Amino acid sequence: MPRVQLFVTCLGDLVLPEAAADAERLLRDAGFDVELPERQVCCGQPAFNAGHRAAARRVARGFARAFSRDAPIVAPSGSCATMATHYLPELVGCDPFPVWELSAFLAHHGYEPPQRNAGRKISYHDSCHMLRELHVHDQPRQLLEASGATLAPLPRPDLCCGFGGTFSVRMPEVSLAMGDDKLAGARETGVLVTADPGCLMHLRGRAERTAAGVRVVHLATVLARGLDG
Amino acid sequence: MRELTSPRFREIARVKLADARVQRALDESVTRLRDHRLAAWSAEPELEELRRRGHEIRMRVVDDLDGHVARFREAVEARGGTTFLARSAEEATGYVADLCRRRGARLLAKSKSMVSEEIELNEAVEAAGTRVVETDLGEYILQLAGEHPVHIVAPAIEKTREQIAELFSRVEGRRVGDSLEELTAAARRQLRETFLAADVGVSGVNFGVVDTGSICICTNEGNGRMVSTLPKVHVAVMGLERLVPSTADLAVLLRLLGRSGTGQKLTVYTSLITGPRRPGDEDGPEELHVVLLDNGRTNLLRGRYREMLACIRCGACLNVCPVYRKTGGAAYGPVYSGPMGAVLLPLLVGLEQGRDLPHASSLCGACTEACPVQIPLHELLLDLRRDLVEQGVASRLERLSFQLWSLAWSTPLGYRLSTGLARRLQALAPLAGPGRAWASGRTLPRLGRRYRDRRR
Amino acid sequence: MSLVEEFAANAAAAGFTVHRGEPPRIEGAETSTALYGLAESGSVVLSSSQEPRGRSLLPDVHVTLLDEERILPGLAELFEALGDDLPTALSIVTGPSKSADIEQKLAVGVHGPREVHVVLRPPARSG
Repeated sequence: MPRVQLFVTCLGDLVLPEAAADAERLLRDAGFDVELPERQVCCGQPAFNAGHRAAARRVARGFARAFSRDAPIVAPSGSCATMATHYLPELVGCDPFPVWELSAFLAHHGYEPPQRNAGRKISYHDSCHMLRELHVHDQPRQLLEASGATLAPLPRPDLCCGFGGTFSVRMPEVSLAMGDDKLAGARETGVLVTADPGCLMHLRGRAERTAAGVRVVHLATVLARGLDG
Repeated sequence: MRELTSPRFREIARVKLADARVQRALDESVTRLRDHRLAAWSAEPELEELRRRGHEIRMRVVDDLDGHVARFREAVEARGGTTFLARSAEEATGYVADLCRRRGARLLAKSKSMVSEEIELNEAVEAAGTRVVETDLGEYILQLAGEHPVHIVAPAIEKTREQIAELFSRVEGRRVGDSLEELTAAARRQLRETFLAADVGVSGVNFGVVDTGSICICTNEGNGRMVSTLPKVHVAVMGLERLVPSTADLAVLLRLLGRSGTGQKLTVYTSLITGPRRPGDEDGPEELHVVLLDNGRTNLLRGRYREMLACIRCGACLNVCPVYRKTGGAAYGPVYSGPMGAVLLPLLVGLEQGRDLPHASSLCGACTEACPVQIPLHELLLDLRRDLVEQGVASRLERLSFQLWSLAWSTPLGYRLSTGLARRLQALAPLAGPGRAWASGRTLPRLGRRYRDRRR
Repeated sequence: MSLVEEFAANAAAAGFTVHRGEPPRIEGAETSTALYGLAESGSVVLSSSQEPRGRSLLPDVHVTLLDEERILPGLAELFEALGDDLPTALSIVTGPSKSADIEQKLAVGVHGPREVHVVLRPPARSG
């Protein structure tokens, strides 16, 4: 069986283990042998985006030590996939790694998800890195529709949800206002799906605090177990 | 130099976030302007090529700024104009104030110019004894209200018709109705008098053309033409980097400017002025003065921020910025705002004073996508954040925190120990620092068993 | 679409009232003759070497006479045609004066003319 290396990401490992499990489930279902390289920690993005390059480099070197280049590296995170693909090699001074965001990888291999979401209406949020740097827009939508769901487009899909890493705690008022706008757009369906743990943590945390009436869920979970799984 | 940044981004942002009317006005305006740009861009058959050309033309100027400025000045002077290269705001305002004094000017009519705001021209001219009237409708309204513009192309984006009628009524000493027609007629009346009586007209410049010594002024209202035609003296103020080499290059940039800023193919009035009135001309100013302002711009030439000098002040980045959409312009400062302001201001005023601005962004990248001349704005913001750290402006505590974090997370064991500790202490997170800032508006995620441990 | 048709469509879209042949009789209107027209944007190009600049700027209603033969595709062609020979003021006008500064609603005739007309004149018949 072909191999993949799962990069669960620090947020996946610590805060969204169910989504990490769902990502693994999907990859196995797609016919891959999934390894979880034990030495992985983090791609260094939180420090990198905050301008702390030396700190980011130290952590990113760990990524370079943990993963090999002989099997695709798949991450259930658009921003981590962007960091590891576009910025990490130059930061660490190494050759590029074959990193994929989960939905892009699954779609590339023609994966057909089980029909777990028939008759369900959902909203999908494009995380900024995934949209603008990885240019992964259609794949998550195709997979969600293939699982039976109907997508109701968000009113301003181009607008950032307000997470932005340290932005969420440096400019919390603005971050929250941006999150509220994003959640308001999803009230029609009551379900907001995202492929990025950072966006998810911020939107779910806000939805819970404000009782926004929107369930925020990771793409991997919706595809692997369905909304009712 | 004038305070170009606001003292605390967050404080002003908070006020604007709490104002539902401002939120609605901002959303409607930026959405509309963005939609217009997208429509205009999608109608452009070779958009990416056009943007690339625009970038190339502007960078050609930036890469030999001294040479282009020198040739431009020669060309303007060869056609009877006078040029002045002002290294600082004070030199620029000194020149204009002095000119007004020497000409015995009692009234100065001004059309839109961000540079004139940057140098606080109005105050300097009024101190010299000349009254200044803003003639751009939005700026006129704000001048009457005693406020500053908050958007590059829609300065009075937050004012209502009722508020405007109140201001106009005070000028005329009688009730001016608040319908659009009545307000327009009132503005036309009030400002026509100004144009006809003004001794000096001041305009901005959208582009200076080096080969021909011409200045190009783009407006929709016609006030740019008014102030550059009717008064005896016309003073054009511009950033010294706002040049294009030839009229063929001008055609490319004009194609980008209108479409990107407001979705128009051209603004209603696109005027190309070459020198003061010539023998044979039936009207026009007797004197043309072009003031080129440095005020820190040439400092950008040396480093990795030189691309910022390619900016054509179209406002496209403001119209897509999710942060600007919530905060408006005042949180950034009185003149430049949005992504272009967040990059330019720390470079002009210094990192210490501009420290908030590179972080007034979620790095979503929409600005870079929208920039007609392909300035990598979000990458420059990231570089500025790096400078804040590496030049010691970021707090010691912050730098130390990231260093400790990186040491802990540079090994799997360190990661395990530190996250194990964090899990034990997580109840304390909302009490201080980032945990507190997070918990101020969101529930904190729970740290449970790590995925890698559950998987075993 | 011919250049003339393109010009007429874009000029109308920009807010000109487009006439063919005979100029409209409007009291108080000022009339200029265009140096060129630009098809792509529906603009008229006026030159200070031919008339005072104020003529197309000050009145409430303005009429521009434009020979169809003088319609160029766009700005690039205009500057190529003009070469180095620029008048003091080259005014490219694309519609009536307007502003969206009052509640982002379109207001016409703020400073420049409120109403603009362009009269297309076909080439004179030879012979």
